[in-house]
Amino acid sequence: MTRPVDKLIIILSWISGIMLLGAISSIIGYLLVKGLGAIKFSLIFGETSPVDALLLKRQVFDGIFPAIAGTFSLVILSVGFAVPVGLASGIYLSEYAGPKIKKVFNFFFDILAGIPSIVIGLFGFSMAVFLHKHLSQYIFPCLLISSLCLAFLVLPYIVRTTQVSLENIPEQIRLTALALGATKLQNIFYVLIPKSLSGIVSGVILSIGRCAEDTAVIMLTGVVATAGVPKSILSHYEALPFYIYYISSQYSNTEELLSGYGASIILLAICSFFFFIAFLVRNRLKYHAFYRM
Amino acid sequence: MNIRNFIVGITMAFLTLSATTNVRADALDIFKNEKGIIKIAGGTAHIPVVKEAAKRIINFNPDIQISIAGGGSGVGIKQAGEGLVDIGNSGRMPSESEIKRYNLKVFKWAIDGVGIIVNPKNNVKTLSKIQVIDIFSGKINNWQILGGKNKEINVYTRNEASGTRAVFWKKALNKGKITSKANFVVSNGAMKSAISQDPYSIGYVSAGHIDKSVAPIAVDHVLPTLDNVKKGSYKIVRGLYSNTKGDPSGLIKKFIDYLLTPECQEIVRTKGFIPVI
Amino acid sequence: MPRNRQNQGLYPGHMNKIYEKFAEKLFLLSAILSISVTILIFGFMLILGLPFIREGNFFNLFTQPWSPHQGLYGIYPMIIGTMSVSLLSIVFAFPLSLGCASLISVLGPKGFSRFFRKVVQFMTGVPTVIYGFIGIFLLVPIIREIFQGGSGMCILSASLMLTVLVSPTMILFFIDSFDQVPKTFINAIDALGGSKVQKLLYVMLPNAWRGILSGLILGLGRAFGDTLIALMIAGNAIKTPGSVLDSARTLTSHIALVIASDYESMEFKSIYACGISLYIFTTITVLCVRFLRTGPKGVTK
Repeated sequence: MTRPVDKLIIILSWISGIMLLGAISSIIGYLLVKGLGAIKFSLIFGETSPVDALLLKRQVFDGIFPAIAGTFSLVILSVGFAVPVGLASGIYLSEYAGPKIKKVFNFFFDILAGIPSIVIGLFGFSMAVFLHKHLSQYIFPCLLISSLCLAFLVLPYIVRTTQVSLENIPEQIRLTALALGATKLQNIFYVLIPKSLSGIVSGVILSIGRCAEDTAVIMLTGVVATAGVPKSILSHYEALPFYIYYISSQYSNTEELLSGYGASIILLAICSFFFFIAFLVRNRLKYHAFYRM
Repeated sequence: MNIRNFIVGITMAFLTLSATTNVRADALDIFKNEKGIIKIAGGTAHIPVVKEAAKRIINFNPDIQISIAGGGSGVGIKQAGEGLVDIGNSGRMPSESEIKRYNLKVFKWAIDGVGIIVNPKNNVKTLSKIQVIDIFSGKINNWQILGGKNKEINVYTRNEASGTRAVFWKKALNKGKITSKANFVVSNGAMKSAISQDPYSIGYVSAGHIDKSVAPIAVDHVLPTLDNVKKGSYKIVRGLYSNTKGDPSGLIKKFIDYLLTPECQEIVRTKGFIPVI
Repeated sequence: MPRNRQNQGLYPGHMNKIYEKFAEKLFLLSAILSISVTILIFGFMLILGLPFIREGNFFNLFTQPWSPHQGLYGIYPMIIGTMSVSLLSIVFAFPLSLGCASLISVLGPKGFSRFFRKVVQFMTGVPTVIYGFIGIFLLVPIIREIFQGGSGMCILSASLMLTVLVSPTMILFFIDSFDQVPKTFINAIDALGGSKVQKLLYVMLPNAWRGILSGLILGLGRAFGDTLIALMIAGNAIKTPGSVLDSARTLTSHIALVIASDYESMEFKSIYACGISLYIFTTITVLCVRFLRTGPKGVTK
């Protein structure tokens, strides 16, 4: 006995679902159709032989290997900056902070999370110029500045996931070690963190994905069209998402356009990979933790 | 006698040949045993040539690292002046105040034109200068007025830092207005992609970048070909410059010198510009 | 013998107490450091944009058009651009996301729902630049052909792509809100024999409305802050847009475009004004969501 209104709602919901599925399949499908043919060694390494390129013996031109290397370095540096600080802040917020402080801090973290990435990039650029003028001649928009900004970008996520994971641990587990005489610190490091590891790690992995895909921040803080593999953290570098952006607006022949499609597929694969790992980690660790109990 | 002359002739030829081949190898030889980083930024028109030059240098000596960024002439001048990059490329001559402020040294290494382009499917092929001014200011806004289809004209222009834009604005538009409805693109390459995809578009681009994907417009019956630019019959011309802060030295100087060698000027020619040597 | 008795005075485990204090201070320091970044970003922009605000007469900034050659540095067209693109995309995205969330949580068959949910989760990981890239080559020509005019690079195209970007996050958020509806209510209506649609309409939506509204606002915030899609697809014209088929520039793409110019000029300083506006929008968004959150749940997440 379904009323017409009910039927309408069911139909509308199904239409939404189908539209969304249609949209994403056409986007991914178009990408794969156009780009799958471009995936070959020459896309990545250009005319240089893969072995030479990987051992950094020769620079790669016309290939996206430098961009991949740049993205890779970027991710490692940003996560290297963000994880210790984020973890510590998250621990503080969940274990030590009183409710008022929590509220204030969370407010600021929410703002940081909501700041558009380009504003953070703008900040990074201004910072670089400011330091260049007043501190050292050698500082200009570079890998270091970009990774710091990316660290700012993902910091709120890491703090939030750490905080939430820690807070979600049931009271009994939280109190057990303390009841046995452990100090707060020991409790945190030996009990709480391992228990919430799945949440924390998946947060970190999602941040890695975020760093790999962001374009707005790096556009303003040091990424360039051609730079080879980054040799130092104070140098210009290339990155995969920027390469795609650059190619999309200024390809000079069909070959370059095809390489753009190929690069998009690779970037998509990298981000999906991280995403998938985060998902696995969350499930695996949950299972192990449960099993050990 | 004849045999002696012949031997002398052959020896002379041989010596001359080896001399010229030595000159050829010399062009890159100056980079032997060099190490370091060269940072280049600025005009997007320069990128094909600079990229090729960088490729040859790095292949010759992998210890040298060269990074190339775009951004437009304004960026090149500013960043070179502030010391953020070593060489700033510009598609327009830096102004007096810019040269004085940053103590810029300007090096011209190619001549280029700025051509007006439309989509190849467009049947409008020639315009008068007045028409160009009116189209870009928005006064003429339909292709039908010019003999084309009944479609609105989509104007594309460059970002403000662009030297190509500065030259176009000064020499083609006589500093006239560019309609505020114009779409913005950020480089010569981007302009080309946009025009080649939009059948009702019009824009302007470095003459060296014009290829089969876009159709050049003859302004007052003069096409922006290399010959016309060389002859002087196409009026919208500009030089391609590289600027450094103060006199360049070391690796930077060698790069600039390399740009002015016959070998590199050959690259300039193959990329569609006019060499200065 | 465990060395961790917490007694007064010097005792075998007292070093631990110092470690404890130290660790606590260290954690606090990290948290403060993180916070200060937030404040630093705002402060920097304010200081750097100050000359602009001072010279340009504050209100003019927000109401004037952008025409550097005439000395006009107003960011009004960009504000309209951001508003149009974001609001339009939310207009599309909200019903779409609500429908999909309902489908996944309540209305759809089990297997399909699980599959769909995975797809939506996957979509949150797709890089923005890819949406922009495909948008240029797939969406823009389609829009150009359908509407037979304009270059196809307009507010409509950007909004459509933005909808696809923002929906997955909104959907997941809505699903979360639905899940938070107390199980007792759901059991009650099931026991009474209510249909799925009735469950949705009369139990879930009324109870999850706070979460739904928060999701909406967060989606709006995300749409405001997106740079690449607007930069690549919306055309970037400086004229204040008059219709959805007009090319427009958003605050975010304005920053990206102008950053390439002389950074001591007034033009450059205008992007700090853009940055400040975006920052303020974000803060307002966050405040609204917080306000909504302090409801029957009480826990500040």
